[in-house]
Amino acid sequence: MGGPPYDCMANPLGAVRLTFEKAIGSGSLTQTHPLAFDGKDWGALDLFRHFLFQESGLSQVPILNSKTMRWVQPNSLVRYRGMIQDMLGNEFYVGAYKDGNLWRTNKFMDVSQYPMGTPPDMCVWERRLLYCVPVPGQSSWTEPSCEMEPNRGMDWSSQNREKRRRMDDEDADPLDLREDGFPSPSPESRDSKTASSSSSMSTFQYVDKDNLPCLVKIYDSPESELKLNDVFEFIGVLTVDSELAVEKDDNDELSNSFYDDALVHLPPNKVPRLHCLVHRKLAVHDFLQSSPIMEPHLVKGIREALFRHLTTVLGNDEVAAHFMLLHLLSKVHARVDDVAVGKLSLNLMGLSKESATVFGTRLSQAFKSLLPFTHFIPLTLEYLNTASLAPKKDYQENRLIPGVLQLPEGSHIMVDETQLESGSLSSIGIENTKSLKNLMEFQKVEYDFQYYKMEMAADVQLLIFSEGKSNIVPADVVVPFQPSSLESFEIPVAEALEAWRWYLATVRLLPHSIGSEMQKVVEDDLVAARQADRSLGSRDFSRWLTMARLVSSSFGETCLSLEHWQMVKELERLRRERLK
Amino acid sequence: MASDSSPANFNNGPSSPGDSFSTPIANSSSPAHRRRRGRRQASIPSSAAATPSPNPSRFANSSSTPTPSRSTRRGRRPATSPTPAAAATPSSTDDFPPPSSDGGDDMEEATPTFVWGTNISVQDVKNAIQMFIKHFRETHELRNDVYGEGKYMRLIHRVLEIEGEWIDVDAHDVFNYDSDLYNKMVRYPLEVLAIFDIVLMDIVSLINPLFDKHVQVRIHNLKSSTSMRNLNPSDIEKMVSLKGMVIRCSSIIPEIREAVFRCIVCGYHSDPVVVDRGRITEPTTCSNQECLAKNSMTLVHNRCRFADKQIVRLQETPDEIPEGGTPHTVSLLMHDKLVDAGKPGDRVEITGIYRAMSVRVGPTQRTVKSLFKTYIDCLHIEKTDKSRMMSEDPMEVDKGSQRVEDDVQFDEDKVEELKELSKQPDIYERLTRSLAPNIWELDDIKKGLLCQLFGGNALKLPSGASFRGDINILLVGDPGTSKSQLLQYIHKLAPRGIYTSGRGSSAVGLTAYVTKDPETGETVLESGALVLSDRGICCIDEFDKMSDNARSMLHEVMEQQTVSIAKAGIIASLNARTSVLACANPSGSRYNPRLSVIDNIHLPPTLLSRFDLIYLVLDKADEQTDRRLAKHIVSLHFEDTQIAEQDVLDLATLTAYVSYARKNIHPQLSDEAAEELTRGYVEMRKRGNFPGSSKKVITATPRQIESLIRLSEALARIRFSEWVEMRDVTEAFRLLEVAMQQSATDHSTGTIDMDLITTGVSASERMRRENVLAATRNIIMEKIQLGGPSVRLLELLDELKKQSSGSEIHLHDLRNAVATLASEGFVVLQGDSVKRI
Repeated sequence: MGGPPYDCMANPLGAVRLTFEKAIGSGSLTQTHPLAFDGKDWGALDLFRHFLFQESGLSQVPILNSKTMRWVQPNSLVRYRGMIQDMLGNEFYVGAYKDGNLWRTNKFMDVSQYPMGTPPDMCVWERRLLYCVPVPGQSSWTEPSCEMEPNRGMDWSSQNREKRRRMDDEDADPLDLREDGFPSPSPESRDSKTASSSSSMSTFQYVDKDNLPCLVKIYDSPESELKLNDVFEFIGVLTVDSELAVEKDDNDELSNSFYDDALVHLPPNKVPRLHCLVHRKLAVHDFLQSSPIMEPHLVKGIREALFRHLTTVLGNDEVAAHFMLLHLLSKVHARVDDVAVGKLSLNLMGLSKESATVFGTRLSQAFKSLLPFTHFIPLTLEYLNTASLAPKKDYQENRLIPGVLQLPEGSHIMVDETQLESGSLSSIGIENTKSLKNLMEFQKVEYDFQYYKMEMAADVQLLIFSEGKSNIVPADVVVPFQPSSLESFEIPVAEALEAWRWYLATVRLLPHSIGSEMQKVVEDDLVAARQADRSLGSRDFSRWLTMARLVSSSFGETCLSLEHWQMVKELERLRRERLK
Repeated sequence: MASDSSPANFNNGPSSPGDSFSTPIANSSSPAHRRRRGRRQASIPSSAAATPSPNPSRFANSSSTPTPSRSTRRGRRPATSPTPAAAATPSSTDDFPPPSSDGGDDMEEATPTFVWGTNISVQDVKNAIQMFIKHFRETHELRNDVYGEGKYMRLIHRVLEIEGEWIDVDAHDVFNYDSDLYNKMVRYPLEVLAIFDIVLMDIVSLINPLFDKHVQVRIHNLKSSTSMRNLNPSDIEKMVSLKGMVIRCSSIIPEIREAVFRCIVCGYHSDPVVVDRGRITEPTTCSNQECLAKNSMTLVHNRCRFADKQIVRLQETPDEIPEGGTPHTVSLLMHDKLVDAGKPGDRVEITGIYRAMSVRVGPTQRTVKSLFKTYIDCLHIEKTDKSRMMSEDPMEVDKGSQRVEDDVQFDEDKVEELKELSKQPDIYERLTRSLAPNIWELDDIKKGLLCQLFGGNALKLPSGASFRGDINILLVGDPGTSKSQLLQYIHKLAPRGIYTSGRGSSAVGLTAYVTKDPETGETVLESGALVLSDRGICCIDEFDKMSDNARSMLHEVMEQQTVSIAKAGIIASLNARTSVLACANPSGSRYNPRLSVIDNIHLPPTLLSRFDLIYLVLDKADEQTDRRLAKHIVSLHFEDTQIAEQDVLDLATLTAYVSYARKNIHPQLSDEAAEELTRGYVEMRKRGNFPGSSKKVITATPRQIESLIRLSEALARIRFSEWVEMRDVTEAFRLLEVAMQQSATDHSTGTIDMDLITTGVSASERMRRENVLAATRNIIMEKIQLGGPSVRLLELLDELKKQSSGSEIHLHDLRNAVATLASEGFVVLQGDSVKRI
């Protein structure tokens, strides 16, 4: 549609309303009954999709975070990037109701603007509530540069703010509101009201300055599309209902006891609400500033550069760097029974407390610049005995209390075991070690629902530093770490970093296969190896094949070649030599 | 529908949009409109009724549930409101006649009444219900006595006798009798249940006009039950049935239903004030004509009437949660007798009416949020609990001789399924295959493990002596023979199982401890395992690395099934009724066939003998197996296709099967089996001094016969058989022998005692073996030079086959023969190659 008559950015609800009226055929004599739109879109989403993706409006939509929260206006279009931390179930709302002879909709809104009629004149629809948080351990490079000039925002926001003010106003004349429903860029200024509304804005008090959770309301999308711990971008209407806060004072016992669910504990002045119009799952690529198009031969170059970088970071230990590179590319490809195929956790052993600190800092710095989501766990007795690693359901608040191990796919955890001393573990400590071990071995985290536990599949890369081989968190590969120098490494240039990030994100997604000849070679090698050394078991073979896959994808190849297989065997030989 | 949460039902809604309004949904809710009038009136007389009038039947009833409109009991209680509406309204202007047995009918006489928004006639429904209650008979009753009273009439009589307050009506019965009525009931539960209650009260008052309790209908067992996840707006105001787990119960909320005020000026007591729209209006003036003081009324608490109410949260059970989702919850409203019927953690199936109420923005604001809060008005609650047993305590077994009868029950369908399964002739093999399907071969070991899972019967004699039913198994073997995987698997299958590594396991310790190896810097977690696995299976990996101290504890555990802990002069004896599944590596990294088992694993014979089955898992350097392993792993990594495993039970079924059997099957020895056991045992004893046996062997001990009994009981359990049969005993002997074949040792030579096996077979077989031995000796004499290069067993086998055409010779036979030769000092067997010395 050429030149939309409404401002999708500043007044998305207006657009929703218009499309609704159009779809329902208001004005004409034969109105469509809104029942037809239950669980369906009437065309509003197409409009927004068109605006966002065809007219590239997406980049103009401000990203909601604790910084932008200060100036982003309620009832405007925003986007929010976060991980689905908890699901709060479904909510029933009056989707459409009759106001006089006109059908109106409440979709994408919290509060109805007109008095609602009696039962036959309303339709109840449902929407899902998702509690989202910024992705835990998100590296700073993933945050989009804030190119939104607040000034430009202010232009339309002041006017909008005043609209909001009016909506909030209970005494407001419905006619006034109706007017407001249409995009009428009337720059009339009601300064007094604007001022008062800005004071209401200051009622936002975020517990954590950098951590803005968001309650996302999802309309009409299949349940299987959005899963716990997925990272999504939600684009929708921001509502900040100060009115809702009043609920708490409601001392009607009955309604209170029904209310004592999560919402009471998520007052809207702390957790903004987002009525989601469009959502899309984010991959690492979506966090990259630019997506360079790489040629296969360039992949090798990037690999080489990255490898050199890792070598420097690891004090010139090439073997460790090789394993590190493979480790960073690992990913769970498939699950057969209990086996998570494709994971490659790495245990660098032979570190003392001091060297662990040095290399820990260097590595975590490097990871932060390379990977989207990174974590560091200092494994001390105190930590084990106090931290809550596995998420736990709190039935008082009816919320899932996040644990350190509630992570989206592709997170990286670095565990420093060198700090662990002898001592007693409490029951929490035992649970925690169990959780870590489970994650390590099966890539699964047990969520504690108090009456039962639920296993959730995870895909997390784990790196462990330890003095000896770690038995508490047994890794797939144990590499004795032998740094030879401690020369400081230079901070790589931005382009290189960008290329490496792209490389890490892309290469691990490559498909992989094996030719029948190669398969024969591999099988023969395995049989021969086992004949020679009976202590080799399926676990070792599994590791070799994982490494084979990773080596070949690290070169951008999708099929295992003999050369790469030899490389794996060589790496394994070097590693075993060190273990002796 | 006298729901308090939905007070608006009774009042004339429009005036109070701000009120919590329970009837937003199109037509179904709206009967309120029609009924409202009646109800309103009803409330007036009911207040009168509250001042106890020894009136027959319904009046009395209405006083017991006095506040039709505002009563705490919600929809389920609909009886309260309509009953008075129908009967207790002598004072009202309506044409309701004074309470009489047929009073309910007149409601419809005025005009044919319909359920609002439908063409369902109230009278029709009423008749249908009457017919149902009076004439419903279960199928078997139909055949026998047609003239006796129906199921529900009898129920009513019983309720009257015990002065109960409700009768349970099985929705299946309703459906079978009148499916139309069933459909109406599910679609318009508020209305239909109200009528149901009226009809019921009519019948009750006919039987016993003096019965003064209110009897309600509780519907349960709907035809279809919904998943919590699938509740949607169209279910509102419908009858639903859900399964879930109670996660939270509020404290009991006394809800005021009727208030009495007293004037502080003159002391005059007001008439009871009934709750209206969730509120009690305090009279502003004293109604005593002589007083008329303003704002003088104060509430008299102990004259008010309260009802119990409770809000319960129900959560989805884990099996209903899709991947990547979190469990949904729903609120339940419980009234009166239902209060505290479920406790947190209970798995229940509830039947109720799904309701929604709109959310008021604030107490003072008139704006209504466009939101609805939903809850279920609970009609009936039933504990199911079956799955709980599986997740929590599948290993919960016999508790000595006095078995506590749990109310835990399996789903009937599931039980049927399991029973069906147990009837299959190959169930034993099938279960064996299903056990750790990823680990090949080792079938006999798996069979032993299966027996361990099922377990024998524990026995406690009146004298106090007890015999354990748990079967202990030890696996000894070369590294890399997937012992650990087997352990892990069993550990997973037995949720009460504890998996621990012998290294650093303190066995009894109740706490866990982190230790650091001073040399290697390796950190190790020590945990107390045995106590934690009471009634489960304790899987101990690296048994040989366990400290002597810890191991000595096992003596007690494995025979007495207790753990004694001495601390600060106090000796505590804790139960540790656990099966032990241990695996050990040989003391050298590989099993040395020339040493005895005991020498190989460094375990004291006393402890060793406590294991019922000891398996040697030797790694036969078999290229075929290796190739299979290689192929398997390659395909795991490169082919997305799952390795097809046909005809294998999944883990859940297996767990269910095991726990059902452990719970419900307690086999006893049949005479035949006992006979066979005795015979077999005597034979085993005899073997020790078999005339042809030149060497000492471990002879059977009383422990062995206990083991045999346990094993045969377990085998009977596998078949869901209450009797141990001959074949179970035979198989038990076989299992024991298979285990012995690999582990019974001859101390004089320290090698596996092949004689034992020879003596265990028939005379002809023994002869055959001797022939093989002779033939082998000859071949070796011919082929192998003294001190010359060694020859592989396979080559020998080929040679042997060439020579002795006709009879089949297996590698197994050859191996036996060579071993015997080796014991004679004739040859040396190294792995797979034979060398003459």
